[in-house]
Amino acid sequence: MNASTSGPGNDMPDFSNVESGASSTAQESTPAFKTYEIKSGDSLSKIAKREYGNANEWRRIFEANQDTIKNPDKIFPGQVIKIPL
Amino acid sequence: MQIKLFAALGLSALLAVAGCGKKEQPAPIPAPAAAPAPAVQDMVNVPVSVKAITLGNQLADGKVATPQSSFAPKDTLYAVVETIGSGKVALKAAWTFHKGDKTAPVNETTQEITASGPAHTEFHVSKPDGWPVGDYKVEIFLNGASAGSQTFTVK
Repeated sequence: MNASTSGPGNDMPDFSNVESGASSTAQESTPAFKTYEIKSGDSLSKIAKREYGNANEWRRIFEANQDTIKNPDKIFPGQVIKIPL
Repeated sequence: MQIKLFAALGLSALLAVAGCGKKEQPAPIPAPAAAPAPAVQDMVNVPVSVKAITLGNQLADGKVATPQSSFAPKDTLYAVVETIGSGKVALKAAWTFHKGDKTAPVNETTQEITASGPAHTEFHVSKPDGWPVGDYKVEIFLNGASAGSQTFTVK
């Protein structure tokens, strides 16, 4: 679920529904996360609904991005955030 | 009687001198202690680095069951990153699709690990409606710097 150059007028495939994960035999310092580029119309609750099936999980995304998101109601297109897996 | 005494003393002295002349065997030199396997030591005490990247559609004990570079559209794609060394690092797998000179990002997943020796970190991606046929690449980044890549196709 990353920014993709695919979309209207682009002949590249759509990869917006790709699911991902990671694990290690080493100690995992933090849960794995994927990166996502905010698009116009996105909100943390919309992203949480899409990623976790529950809009109330928005706080999980907010807490993983407190270094870049100070106000959960203010996110911007083009901003790249972490989505915990 | 006195002669016998002198003879006995002389014999004793002769035996004593003979005994002293006997060379002592030098103590055997102990075999040098087995040196620690430097390869293993090096793998633990050096910063983390990527040793290998392997692709497959199935894992067995955290490793790719059968390495492959061609996949079916419904496969789950696994990239297993073999690292050596120790320390806390961020490993990122960036999957991309390539068509001619165009590139589309597919997924980027990051896993932070604290390694204390050789380790395997797996990244996987799947697409419920199937992967588009074509050419792909997965590039592995170690703390933001490229550490290698693998290309593969979906047929």
